[in-house]
Amino acid sequence: MSRIKYLQKLLEAKEISCVELTKKYLNNIEKQNKTINAYVNVTAEEAVKTAKKVDERIAAGEKLMPLEGIPMSLKDNISTKNIETTCCSKMLQGYYPIYDATVCEILKNQNSVLLGKTNMDEFAMGSSCESSIFGATLNPHNTDYVAGGSSGGAAASVAGNMAAFGLGSDTGGSIRQPASFCGLVGFKPTYGTISRYGVVAYASSLDQVGAITDSVEDAAIVYDALSIYDSKDSTSIGSKISTLDKLNNSIKGLKIGIAEEFFGGISEDIKSSLEEAIKGYQDAGAEIVHFEVPNLHAVLPVYLIISCAEASSNLGKFDGIRYGYKTDSYKDIDEMICKNRSEGFGKEVQRRMLLGTYVLSSGYYDAYYKKAQNLRYSIIQDFKKIFESCDVILTPSVPVTAYKKGEALIDPIKTYMTDICTVPANIAGLPAISVPCGFDRNKMPIGMQLIGNSFEDYKVLNAAYQYEKQTKKTSKTSPCLKKTDETSPCPEVEI
Amino acid sequence: MITKEEVSKIAKLAKLSVDENEIEQLSEDMSRIIEFADSINNVVETADVEFENINNISNAFNEDIVLDSYDRDEILKNREGGENGYFVIRKSLRG
Repeated sequence: MSRIKYLQKLLEAKEISCVELTKKYLNNIEKQNKTINAYVNVTAEEAVKTAKKVDERIAAGEKLMPLEGIPMSLKDNISTKNIETTCCSKMLQGYYPIYDATVCEILKNQNSVLLGKTNMDEFAMGSSCESSIFGATLNPHNTDYVAGGSSGGAAASVAGNMAAFGLGSDTGGSIRQPASFCGLVGFKPTYGTISRYGVVAYASSLDQVGAITDSVEDAAIVYDALSIYDSKDSTSIGSKISTLDKLNNSIKGLKIGIAEEFFGGISEDIKSSLEEAIKGYQDAGAEIVHFEVPNLHAVLPVYLIISCAEASSNLGKFDGIRYGYKTDSYKDIDEMICKNRSEGFGKEVQRRMLLGTYVLSSGYYDAYYKKAQNLRYSIIQDFKKIFESCDVILTPSVPVTAYKKGEALIDPIKTYMTDICTVPANIAGLPAISVPCGFDRNKMPIGMQLIGNSFEDYKVLNAAYQYEKQTKKTSKTSPCLKKTDETSPCPEVEI
Repeated sequence: MITKEEVSKIAKLAKLSVDENEIEQLSEDMSRIIEFADSINNVVETADVEFENINNISNAFNEDIVLDSYDRDEILKNREGGENGYFVIRKSLRG
């Protein structure tokens, strides 16, 4: 039984009250967060208030909504009304949104219990959570390593048993990579299925909200609850398909696409774990189809150009006048804005804004931005063609396992390159999931990625669920489940 | 290669003030990254069609009806020192 279903069963059977459950999670946060640094803001009072409401509803005999009473975390770029939302940047410290992001509103309406806001790379720009002003989030599997990024806090909150699920955002792999590093499930749905309204934009045409959970079933439950059309997001489409109902579909005859290019340069440990997974699929009756991605080598530079260009435009609004960081002294209004921005934004964010401004500036626009947009069109066409001959694509989630502290910062280009498996799904707006697939020789988790065609999120979740069920890897890979005694929903884990 | 002069020009466009002693490092870093981005110019693309949006959705227009807006005082809570519905910045025009 998945974690969310298990907790709801306990609540409905009155084996534990929602307030008790919430306090167990809060205690766990109190114990572990000093070391792991998953949360940048714990909203204990609000959490207990919501939990009391849930208990009243249970006492009145009401049926629980799918995410009701479930303690969860939100990444700190998801706007929460009257709760500080900083994007882990000095620029937004002290900023209290006056409205909720649509995803937060849905969770509130379902009486999900918000435990707090999670750490991230500043404005979601990074792969190791180390560019946060609050410092890095460490990996609950081994604190010599980082949790990954940019949704590193979300992943560590679940892996450290400090939340039942966490919402993150994924622009180039920011949900899937930390999920992979922390031995969890990370699902980036089809672009447009979950509203982006109220999620501080990094690159609007690539950003998607999604959940980090410790099972595929939970990923489906959260996705089904959140994939609602939202008129406040001009790119919203929503989804009417229940992915949960389709998890048990047979995968006999499922065509799984494999491209050698995704397997280049990966370690022996990752390779053998994936080969074992592929064999498992074949044994279950799936068919392996080989294909090539003609423009794969262009994916990362295209991503770099488009994401930086959109970031420079999206972050232009932060001038520190109405809200946000304000400098002490200035001569005139122009100097004030420049100083607010230069002192408020961190170095990596400034570097990406400068690159974005460069590729959009007159004289370079055609050579970089326009060319990248043309190539993006070609890449989308390539994937359309690939999905004519297969149902899902299987790749490593990341060519490496978790970075040691500081390792990702040494060479930014080398770090950008490790996004090669995750970025294509953002460029083409496709659904993609990372599922745990064993451990490397340092006992750090390995992730396997499945990418599907647009709006076939159910196929991706079904294929991932069948793998998870067949291998029963979850119980081995997730540190919280590993130590969960079935009678205690939220044990006091020592990590 | 992005020169130091170009870095200064871009910084001005991006409304960022870059310290004199940071320009050289930024010029080196950005040149390296742009060199990487330049590799797209080796690709002979298959179509001269510019990407518009992911799901080929067209603009959605809302009915032009007046809805409640946010409360001005609530919005101003994010900037200290305001009064009478205004927020304060230091005098920046010289008479």
